[in-house]
Amino acid sequence: MNANAWVITLGAAFAAGTPIVLAALGAILHERSGVLNLGVEGMMLVGAVSAFLAADAWGNVWLALGCGVLAGGALSMVHGALTITMRANQIVSGLALTLFGTGLVKYLGEPVSGVKIPARVVELDVPGLGDLPILGQVLFRRDVLVYATWVLVVLVSLYINHTRRGLALRAVGESPATADAQGISVTGVRYGHVLAGGLFAGAGGAYQALARAPSWNQEFTTDGIGWIALALVVFSSWRPGRALCGAVIFGFAIRSRFTFQAQEITVIPNVVLEMLPYLLTIAVLIVISTGSTRQRLGAPAALGRPYVREER
Amino acid sequence: MTDSHAVHPGPGGPGEPVLAARGVVKSFPGVLAVDAVDFDLLPGEVHSLLGENGAGKSTLASVLCGAYQPDEGSVTVRGHGVELRSPRDGLDHGIAMVHQHFRLVERFTVSENVILGDERLPRWLARDRIDDEVARVAAEFGLPVDPRAHIHDLAVGQRQRVEIVKALYRGADVLLLDEPTAVLTPQETEALFETVRSMTAAGKSVVLISHKLGEVVEISDRVTVMRSGAVTGEVPRADFDRHELARMMVGRDIDLDRQRFAARTTGAPCLSAESVSLVVGDQTLLDTVDLEVRSGEIVGIAGVSGNGQRELADVLAGIVAPTSGSVTVAGQQIGGRGALGARAAGLAFVPEERLGTGLAPSLTIAENMLLTRRRGSLVSHRAAREDARALIERFDVKAPGPDAMCRVLSGGNAQKVLIGRELMGDGAPPTVVIAAAPTRGLDVGAIEQVRALLDEARGRGAGVLLISEDLDEVLAMADRVVVFYRGRVALVQERDEVERGAIGRAMAGVA
Amino acid sequence: MEQKWWLHVMVPLGAVVGALVLGSIFFLFTDRPPLSVYSKMFEAAFGSRDGITDTLATASPLILTGLAAAFAMRMGLYNIGGEGQLYAGAIASSGAALLWTDGMPTPPAMAVVFAAGAFGGMVWILVPALARAYLGTSEIITTLMFVLVADRLLDYLILGSSSYWKDPLSFGFPQGKVIPDAAQFPPWFDSRVTVALVVAVAMVLLLWFVWAHTSFGYGMKVVGDAPHAARYAGIPERRTVLVTLLISGSLAGMAGAAEIGARAFRLDPAGLRLSIGFTGIVIAALSRCNPFAVALVAILLGGLQNAGQSIQTASDIDVPKSVSLMLQGAILLFVLGGETFVRYRVVHGRSALRAAGAST
Repeated sequence: MNANAWVITLGAAFAAGTPIVLAALGAILHERSGVLNLGVEGMMLVGAVSAFLAADAWGNVWLALGCGVLAGGALSMVHGALTITMRANQIVSGLALTLFGTGLVKYLGEPVSGVKIPARVVELDVPGLGDLPILGQVLFRRDVLVYATWVLVVLVSLYINHTRRGLALRAVGESPATADAQGISVTGVRYGHVLAGGLFAGAGGAYQALARAPSWNQEFTTDGIGWIALALVVFSSWRPGRALCGAVIFGFAIRSRFTFQAQEITVIPNVVLEMLPYLLTIAVLIVISTGSTRQRLGAPAALGRPYVREER
Repeated sequence: MTDSHAVHPGPGGPGEPVLAARGVVKSFPGVLAVDAVDFDLLPGEVHSLLGENGAGKSTLASVLCGAYQPDEGSVTVRGHGVELRSPRDGLDHGIAMVHQHFRLVERFTVSENVILGDERLPRWLARDRIDDEVARVAAEFGLPVDPRAHIHDLAVGQRQRVEIVKALYRGADVLLLDEPTAVLTPQETEALFETVRSMTAAGKSVVLISHKLGEVVEISDRVTVMRSGAVTGEVPRADFDRHELARMMVGRDIDLDRQRFAARTTGAPCLSAESVSLVVGDQTLLDTVDLEVRSGEIVGIAGVSGNGQRELADVLAGIVAPTSGSVTVAGQQIGGRGALGARAAGLAFVPEERLGTGLAPSLTIAENMLLTRRRGSLVSHRAAREDARALIERFDVKAPGPDAMCRVLSGGNAQKVLIGRELMGDGAPPTVVIAAAPTRGLDVGAIEQVRALLDEARGRGAGVLLISEDLDEVLAMADRVVVFYRGRVALVQERDEVERGAIGRAMAGVA
Repeated sequence: MEQKWWLHVMVPLGAVVGALVLGSIFFLFTDRPPLSVYSKMFEAAFGSRDGITDTLATASPLILTGLAAAFAMRMGLYNIGGEGQLYAGAIASSGAALLWTDGMPTPPAMAVVFAAGAFGGMVWILVPALARAYLGTSEIITTLMFVLVADRLLDYLILGSSSYWKDPLSFGFPQGKVIPDAAQFPPWFDSRVTVALVVAVAMVLLLWFVWAHTSFGYGMKVVGDAPHAARYAGIPERRTVLVTLLISGSLAGMAGAAEIGARAFRLDPAGLRLSIGFTGIVIAALSRCNPFAVALVAILLGGLQNAGQSIQTASDIDVPKSVSLMLQGAILLFVLGGETFVRYRVVHGRSALRAAGAST
């Protein structure tokens, strides 16, 4: 077994996982406030196509990224308005948004199908660390956005667990009535974090289009990573740090199929490897349903339910 | 004369009440909850509000803390008249209420719950410092808590302590505790009383709202007894007399109504419970209950709600299986046969929660008729509609028709549908009727009708088990009165030997 | 206070109009005459015999997935996995067709296809259903995960291996084996309509019957509305949840069978990925879970999809198919928003919305 091949795979896993982590971070934020958004796939697609078109039109990677981020945010606000103010069913709203987003992206992406991306994100070797054996190659020879994502993971984690607003966020997702009684604006918190979710998802989609795929081809460009991001959120028990680890595991499971093939290892059928992330998520979900673990690892208690203040 | 947000405006004179209410009136649609009540609270005092369910004490407390606004009358804090428009206003003036149903986030730690929503905190939460601060406040008032513990790991008594710490942390000087011992074990109750003593020693004032006479007597400096929205007495500690207080709680003897529901002849037992116990987790909800209802009689279960009546009804109706003991309906053991088995034996059950348990709110009257009927694999809505029409006519239900959703009916009419359905029975009238809180929340006319229906059922030979927190009702209707306290039968009296004082004491857990 | 009945009709109608207006603006921006586009679409979907039959044929699997989602949603259960159950049904029915139907007369062969599809769908929802009924695990994510698993499985069977389904002669461009003639649904009236439509309509009637006239359907109503009442009435809550989800899954599986038997005739991954399952969920929500409304909405959406297809080929307008997808999405979003005005009364002065029908 060629160790080097595995190292390369692991490195690839990190890179492949980055857009998923970004979308998952966003999903963690809005799900922690109690809003379920199945439109993540749609928002990532919209972010991807916006970024691609912007890059195609203006050639600047950072501008393109910005466009992707904003596009995701815009779409998320539709979901927010529907579910928070109009109290529509969160699941249906998210799905409708994904359907709409898919159509929109198909429409916008047609003219540029097959076009190669003109600008690429800068690869950055971290000096010194990049020369470490194994770790160096895996971790420190990636592009800037991968590093930025790690920083974001840390920041989001700190925000959720150690700031006053993070506490309010968690309260809204666990028990909106209690948060309301303590003077916290449930509506405001939810809107803010749905927007954040959209921005992150847009960023993930943008990154996917700009850095991961050489040309625009809708199906292969995004390949359902929005759904994978949702799975990752559950798998990571709504914690950013675990999301990062989970993304690497997911990414590794998916990428290793190539390595297995190259190394001609047929012990585990590839298809099982590809399904592994989902099967693992299901297993985790079932386990956390049982009593004691539910409290430690379960979903925010108010997830998916619109909040209506009890009238006297 | 509004005192806007001047928190703690001077201690005032030594005899000056820290909180006072004058002539407070508060009513809700159809019910006068608080009827021109005066109340005052001195610094460092424990002044309790004692009364049965529905006496108005919780409503008065809600007015005092700002959750409700009085229709008439005034509230003063340290001599200054205030207008409390919300609980936040109350808190700004140092008044906090600890409710029966806690408002805590299960997944959070104690500290997180205490500081939630506190605008004075810096953006970054320094956990250790916050934990220490919370622990300090708690210790200062004799409330040992572990700031790092998660709420879901805490027992009820500890959770209550967190609620109290929450109030103290925000600088409350007056604490209103609403039925605090309702959910506590005796040991936890003792601990709570220790806490109350520490708090008053430190200068805080406490209003204890409770129906438990024994506990109120133990901890209070003063007691105000309420009944039907009015104050029936205010007694200082030196003059405490349990019998007298119980009398103030439940009212005078001799109710003329009792004459109306005359005793009839009774037959064989149609419902009996033998040594029924129900243990859930580490709580004993029912403790070796022996009960018997004979056909043609009404047995009334008296007691403040929350003493096991709901569980008793569920077990007798077959919905919940007892941990030990047996239930027999019309000679048949219904032990493991569940609700359907009990019904097949001729039992009818009017549950406490009329919409949500007895009736499915979004279903129509006709559809709800099917709820307690035997059902084959097909259901006939036509037959159900006819049933419903017959019911509407016979019981004079004010409803648009059999296809009206139960949710839109008024309380009285919904109850008539429920009782009507149960009394009509499935093919034949029932042999046993269990009615839990059947007149709760109804207007006078509906109450009369419901009681008449139960009496009629008894007249036709059914055995009726009436569970009610309205003692007047039980005394008026029952042939035998059974007092329930903490899951146990505390007292049994036949109709002609009923003595109100003894019953009141048994209800309050006093020997 | 009951909501006025006309609101139930006018609001969704108004929402559709709103979406179309938005679409018009979009068209104007991109230099296409909106009225012309809309009229051509309507004509394509409903204006001709071919149009109508095409629409009905396209709608058949949509009706089935719509029913699948609606049946569960009525009880407050969210089967998001219709898409995956459809794939599983397609796999099962094509496999069964290949295995058993060669040489059979057509009617029993078609029955085998549908039965296998139902079975495949049911198997695919089994784990989430059990977890939900007996452990309380939210069915939303579990069913969704199974969609992703089914997606990979589909690819694997045709592209990734030499499985039973794969046509061994298709090296350059992997394809599924064509199912025996017996199992291929014969076209009716010289069009694309097949027995699949009849099955779909039959399911509509069957589900309505179960809901309205059976004890089980009654149990569903009660459990969905008031679980305490179900306990009080002796209705087995968990079993009801389980059976409901299993039926839901099998309906989606039957949609997969319809795709195989009526259209694809082989296991074709790309051809199955039409979001039929997800669209079904939105159809169910828009139809308020009423089976007849599901059929109606499915036909309308089928028409929209077909119209989108044909405008693409009509050279003088040059509107890509994706536009109809967008229109579909926009209509759904508008109707969703419109729902609010049916369910709530907006109270002026305060931004709070009060629920219609709440007593004071």
